Amino acid sequence: MNLTVNGTRHEIESPLLTPLLDVLREELGITGAKAGCHQGGCGACTVLIDGEPRRSCLMPVGYADGGEITTVEGLGTPDDLSRIQQAFIHHYAAQCGYCTSGMLLAGQAYIDRGGTGDEEAIQTALGGHVCRCTGYSKIVEAVAAAARGDSFDVTETAVGKHTTMATGGAE
Amino acid sequence: MKVVGARIPRYDGVAHVTGRTTYVDDVRVPGTLWVKALRSPHHHAGITKLDTSKAEAMDGVHAVITWQDVPLLVYGHLSALGIPADEPLLAKDDARYMGQPIALVAAENEDLAAEAVSRIDVEFEERPALTDVRQAFDAGAPEAHHEGNWYKHFEDEMDRRQIRKGDIEWAFDNADTIVQGVYRPAAIEHCPVETQVCQVVPEPSGRLTIYSCTQALYFSMGVVAAHLQVPLNKLKVVGGTTGGGFGGKNDTATETVCSLLAMKSGRPVKWRWTREEEFLCSSTRAPWHMEIADAVTKDGWILGRKMLTLHDAGAYSRFSPYGVTKHSFHHTGAYTIPNLQFDGYVVYTNRVPTTSMRGFGVTSISFAVETHMSRVADVLGIDPYEIRLKNANRIGDTSPNGIVYTDPSTVSTIQVIAESTGHELPAEYRTMTNEPREGEWRPEHLVAQVGNPEEH
Repeated sequence: MNLTVNGTRHEIESPLLTPLLDVLREELGITGAKAGCHQGGCGACTVLIDGEPRRSCLMPVGYADGGEITTVEGLGTPDDLSRIQQAFIHHYAAQCGYCTSGMLLAGQAYIDRGGTGDEEAIQTALGGHVCRCTGYSKIVEAVAAAARGDSFDVTETAVGKHTTMATGGAE
Repeated sequence: MKVVGARIPRYDGVAHVTGRTTYVDDVRVPGTLWVKALRSPHHHAGITKLDTSKAEAMDGVHAVITWQDVPLLVYGHLSALGIPADEPLLAKDDARYMGQPIALVAAENEDLAAEAVSRIDVEFEERPALTDVRQAFDAGAPEAHHEGNWYKHFEDEMDRRQIRKGDIEWAFDNADTIVQGVYRPAAIEHCPVETQVCQVVPEPSGRLTIYSCTQALYFSMGVVAAHLQVPLNKLKVVGGTTGGGFGGKNDTATETVCSLLAMKSGRPVKWRWTREEEFLCSSTRAPWHMEIADAVTKDGWILGRKMLTLHDAGAYSRFSPYGVTKHSFHHTGAYTIPNLQFDGYVVYTNRVPTTSMRGFGVTSISFAVETHMSRVADVLGIDPYEIRLKNANRIGDTSPNGIVYTDPSTVSTIQVIAESTGHELPAEYRTMTNEPREGEWRPEHLVAQVGNPEEH
C-alpha cells in the first residue's frame, strides 16, 4: 500500500485494517489529526482524502490505498499560512486547538466545493465536529470570512473590540 | 498600556492552526509501551481476589502494577493543605465507584495491554451502592465511604461547613412570609476533546520526564512525588499544553500510575484514555442538592436565609471540602442578607469522584440564588430587577463570612442589564449607586451588620 500525504509518497507497512489515523500518527509520525474519540463522533481526526473530508479513525488504511491525503500540516505553514488558517487566527476560532485541525479541513473542503459565507451551509458542513471551548460561533465566522475571500491581519484579532457600556464601563 | 484593550492574537494561534502544537499524545518517544487499566465494573464491591500472574506472563507485557506497587497508597488531592487523605491510588480491598482503577498493564501495544487486563484474575463481592445524597443520612443507608457517608474534617473536626450570622430566629419571627426552593443541578462531564493522557519517560539519570495534560502542573508534581515517595527533583514535568480541561484536568488522573509503570518496566509508557473511559471514569462536576428558605417582608427585604447544601463528592473527598467552602461564602450571591444559617455537607456516594469545573462550588450556588431571587420576587409580586437592587451589596455590607465589601458591583451590573434589555426602572433604582446604605436603603435589620470599609 502507499499513501501520498501532503504531497509526499509513503509506502505503508501497517495491516490493511489499521485505522488511517493510527497509520498517520504512529507509523508516519504526522500528528495533526487527533484521536478525540476513536469512534467517528467528534471530527478531530478529519483529513482530506482526494479532497473529501473523512474521519480517519474509522477509515481502514486499505480503503485509502493510493490516495492523496491532506492533513492540517498540508494546508499551510507558519511562514505561509493559507487563507482559512489566517481566518482562524484573526477570528479567534482556535482556543485549546484540539478540534482545530478537523475544523480547518472540513472548512477548506467546504470552500473548495464552492461554499459561500452562508451560516447555515457552514453549520451543515461542520456538522458533527465537536468543539468544547469556543461555542462554535467564532469557528463559523472564520470559515465564512475565508469563504468570502476576506484578507486578514493575523497580528490582531477581530474579537475583543472595545465597547463602552452606558453605565460605568471603562474607556 | 500596550495590552489592556488591545486585540492581541493568541500566542499559540499559529501553532494551533498549522498542526504544530505538541499535545501530550503528539510526543514521539521510540519504544513507548501502551497502558490499559483494570477498572471496577461495580459501583461498590469488596475485592476478594486479585491475581495478575497470567497477565504478567504474557509476551510483550512489561509491567503490571496493583496497590502493592505504590510506595504511598493513600494520598489526598488536598493533603498538602492538611485535609486528611482518603483515596488509594489503586483500589485495595474496596472498590467504591464504577471505573475505579485496580491494576494497570504496560505492553507493546494497546491491544496487547487490553488482552493482558482481561487475563487478570479478579473477584468481587458486590455491596449495596449509595447513589443519591438524599439517602446518605438515613438509618440503614449503604456505607459509601470508610469514614461514613459524609466528610467530618472541617475546622475543629466539624462534619459540615457551617455559617451562623446575625439572629436567624429574629428574621423568621419578623418575616411576612417564607419563600422556599429546592435546586438540584446535575453532574456534568467536562468532555474535553483531548481525553486524559500521559507519557512518562524514565531517564538514564534516574529522573522521570512526565508529559502531562494537567491544568495544575506543580500541584500534580506534588501528588506524584508523594505517592512515589521521591523528592521533587526526581521529576521533570512538561505541561502547559492542554487539549481542553475545564477543571477536569486538575485531578492527577494518569501521571502517577504512568510513573510507576515506567519505573517498573524501565521503558517509556503512555496512557491515553478512551472516550468511553472519559465519560465513565473521569471526575465530573458534582450534582448539588440545595434547599433555601428565605424570611422576607412584603416590601421585598430579605431578612434571613436558612440553607442546606448536600454536595455529592462521589466516592472520595478530592477537592470537595474546598468547593463546599467557596459555595458557603457565596450563598447569598451578590446580595446582602444579614441573618444566616447555612449548613453544607460533603456527602459521599458510590459515584465517580467529583471535582472542579468552571467556578467550582460557585456556579451551583449562583444558579440557586438567582433562581430563588426571581422566585421571591414572583411570590411577592415585585419586579425581579428591583428586588435585586434593593438587596444588592453596597459599600460596607458584609459577606456571609464577614468580608466587608469595599467596591461591590451588584448595583451597576443590574442597572446595565436592565438598560441592555430595555427594562424600565423607577428613578430611585436608576440612580442608585453602591455608596454606603442610608435613608430608606438602610432599614433597621441592616443597621447592625454594616461594617466600615476604611478598616479593611
